[in-house]
Amino acid sequence: MLRRFEVYALRPDAPVEQVRDLEAACRRCGRFIPEVLDCAVGTNLSDAPVQLVWEHAYASPEAYRRYMVHPYHAVVLDRYLLPDSPERIVIDGPLGAGLYGYACDTPSYRMRDGVRRIVLLRVDTGAAETDVARLRTTLEQAREEVPDMVVSVMAANTMGAAWFDGVTPVMGPPRWTHLWEQGFSTLDALDAYRGGDSTMAAIERAGWDRWNDGVVKRSAELFYEVSADVAPADGLG
Amino acid sequence: MHLVDTVEVEPDQVEGYLDLVRTLGAAVMTEAGATFVSAATTSGEVGEHIHIQVVWAFDDFVHWNEIRKNMVLDPRYHQYGGAAASLRVGGTRRFFMPTPPPSSP
Repeated sequence: MLRRFEVYALRPDAPVEQVRDLEAACRRCGRFIPEVLDCAVGTNLSDAPVQLVWEHAYASPEAYRRYMVHPYHAVVLDRYLLPDSPERIVIDGPLGAGLYGYACDTPSYRMRDGVRRIVLLRVDTGAAETDVARLRTTLEQAREEVPDMVVSVMAANTMGAAWFDGVTPVMGPPRWTHLWEQGFSTLDALDAYRGGDSTMAAIERAGWDRWNDGVVKRSAELFYEVSADVAPADGLG
Repeated sequence: MHLVDTVEVEPDQVEGYLDLVRTLGAAVMTEAGATFVSAATTSGEVGEHIHIQVVWAFDDFVHWNEIRKNMVLDPRYHQYGGAAASLRVGGTRRFFMPTPPPSSP
């Protein structure tokens, strides 16, 4: 599977109606392109200067490639996004290209509702594979100490560079090399994690650069309440 | 099929917008694989904003996907987009697919 996030920084003067239209277009995408699974949107509540997040997934790179050439993608979604479109309502984001994602064997990211948290990580490019593997294990095991963390997936941000076909990089390595995707039942549960005494909460409070010989060089976070499409075609069944 | 951008500009921005399309826009779009079809404006003598319609051609949405990739990877495309945005006050983007011509009597 391919898990994918598009993150948008909105033009400050973007008309509210058009913003709502973009949100709806993303949320309902699976109704028009059946290959697009688990569509949901959310308004970012973190300090990161981006406002809208669209999360979704594909069963395979082939499914992703069908999305790429579908009219709904070009006609409806890109209407609001492409730099030369007269109806563009986004701006180039300060977090780098606003597309992140990873390959996974199963939809381990899936949750029906709640709060999604995405921690973007820049892992030291010189880090040993074993160190990165240890990092992944530690992050994914965070759930064992935090019962309200219903999702915890850490993976390399392969979609950032392979956005054209889901597999082949068409540009250099992304600014954010990895993602740590989390799910919480509520905002209170997320707050409880942050203030709690779990290993990862302590590490995050102390600063990533102080942990594990500084294998994580930088981080940024997004979190939002998940607003999913209710249509049966969106794969939430 | 055709991509039709219709932008609304102040009368004193018409030439600037058309120049941008003829230069940077045409370079980016044609090198990416699109074909220029036409540019046209509404009248500037009626006291209203002027609409400029620019039309590009390509084969289908598969072809457009390639063009889109080439554009996004071209740094000039982002420059073109920013410059165009600064010159217009509104507009629309639509894709048109050909329909069969009327049958002859």
